[in-house]
Parts: sequence; structure tokens; C-alpha cells
Amino acid sequence: MNGTVSSWVLSNKWVLAGIAVPVLVAAWWAFRPEKLWVNVKVNEPAPFGSSADLQPVYTGVLAGRAHPTSGRASIYQTADGKRDLRLTNFTTSNGPDVHLVLAQSSDNSLRQDFVKGPLDDVELGLLKANQGDQNYELPGSTDLSKYDAVVIYCERFHAVFGTAKLDRF
Amino acid sequence: MLQKINLAVAFVLLTLPFGSRPSASAQDRTKQNNQVKTLETGTFHGKVHQTSGRATVYQEPDGKLVLRLTNFKTSNGPDVHVILIAAKDADDDANFLKTDTARVELGKIKGNEGDQNYEIPAGTDLSKYQTVSIYCERFNANFGTAPLEKF
Repeated sequence: MNGTVSSWVLSNKWVLAGIAVPVLVAAWWAFRPEKLWVNVKVNEPAPFGSSADLQPVYTGVLAGRAHPTSGRASIYQTADGKRDLRLTNFTTSNGPDVHLVLAQSSDNSLRQDFVKGPLDDVELGLLKANQGDQNYELPGSTDLSKYDAVVIYCERFHAVFGTAKLDRF
Repeated sequence: MLQKINLAVAFVLLTLPFGSRPSASAQDRTKQNNQVKTLETGTFHGKVHQTSGRATVYQEPDGKLVLRLTNFKTSNGPDVHVILIAAKDADDDANFLKTDTARVELGKIKGNEGDQNYEIPAGTDLSKYQTVSIYCERFNANFGTAPLEKF
């Protein structure tokens, strides 16, 4: 049985090669497997000079938790290194003792609407208003690669009104 | 004569409120017009073909829209394009786009790594085309998606 198959292959090898080569070429063209190891790197400049509106270093979108919350949180840095957190298109519900804090997005106590136990956070101050654009100064030593989540936090009831994960802009 | 003076005074009084304002607003407008505005931004996610980075839409002073990718990385592949799709987002698992998803072609991808700009065709409705997709046209595969949100 084996012998008849191999002799059939041998006697038809040119026909088989004639089929296999175009199939392989077509497969290579379609999948271009070598591209798995070849990177094409570009580095185009921004489509503007210094004439753009101020660009943040981090930004993220706020999502509601215990209370509906929306808007954008961005971190801006001035030339002298001072950093500010700015809320835009911001709205949350009003409440007692509501603070703006930075926490770690990986923190398990942020998973629920209510924080159990102490929250490892950086305090930015009492929330100035529950609606509208507003700025908060960041303490100079804040490590944003660690504290990468903005939290609208009601300290009295340990309620997380809303959070935003900050990503590099 | 008196009537003429009255008329002149009335005319001056009437035009006074308009006189100062248009110049001020015109100034505001030229100030805005010289600036590139940041309209929308979002981050990429993609599971099957690891894709990461940020997509941002800028509006140039002349109204032209530009999509800029920063900190961008995706896998290299054949016939990869940058497109806008009429969808809120595509799930990580949405490895393929639905064939009836409306799309706007921005061009072949310039590189699978690094910062790059793509012109958005004039008249593109960004409220409809809300998501950037890195898209392999040959296999209808979605490498990565970035839902855009108002900046």
C-alpha cells in the first residue's frame, strides 16, 4: 500500500511540484509570515508646532460608580514642573464631604462602590463643585505611574462616586 | 438742521453697541483660528494582535481633521489599514469586523510602531464614526480598536 502511494508520488512529482509551488507562493503573499519579525517604525512630528492648545501628559474618562459621573480628567504639566489635574465636561452628583483623590487603579478596594478599610490615596482636596471645569494642584512628589486613577470619593461614607483610569497622552 | 443732528445722534447711538463688539469677537476668532484644537482621544485595545497606544483627532486652523497615533504599537501584517468605523467600540474578541459596518478609509498604515498622522477626509461625521480600527483588509481582521471620546 505504502509502496503504491510513494511510487505514485514519485511518478507524479513534477505535477505535484507544479501545484505546491504556486500554493506556497500564494500563501506567502496572503499571510506574509516574515512580517511577524519585521517591524516598521515611524516617528512623525505632531501636525502642529507650538500653536496647539495645551497638551496633557495623562488623561482619562470618568465613569460613574455609586453615583452617575462623567467627564474627563487630565494632568497638565507646566514648564517649571508643576502639575495640575483638570476636570472638563465634568458632572457628578452633589454630596457631603466629597474629595478628589488619586489612587491605584489596581487597588482591590476600588472594585466595589464602597471602600472597606483605608484607601491608599493622594488627597487633592475637597471637590470644588459637582459640575464644571476645575483645577487641582498635585503634590510635587506624586508618582503618577503608581497613583494612576482619579477617584471622586465621599470620605464620610467611603463611597466611590466615580473613577477615571489615567493613561499617557 | 436740528433734525439732521438728531438723526445723526440717533444713528451713532444705535450703532454704538455694535461698534465695539465685532472687533473683539473677530479677535477671539482669529486667536482660535491660529490654534490646532484637540477634539477627541482614546486608547487602543486589541487581544488577538496586541495593539496599544493612543489615537487623537486634531482640527487644524483651516478646519482640516488629522488623526494622530502616539505611543502606538501593533503587530505587523499584510495590507493593514487605518479606518474609522461607525461603531461605539469593538470588543477585544471582535477579531473580524461585520461586513455591514460603515467605514472611512484613512490609508495604509505607515508603520506598526511609532507616532504617525493620517488625514481624515473632509466632511467625515465624527459623531457617526466614533472608533478607530487597525484593520487588515485582506482578512477583514480587526487588529485593534480605539473608541474616541470628547477631549
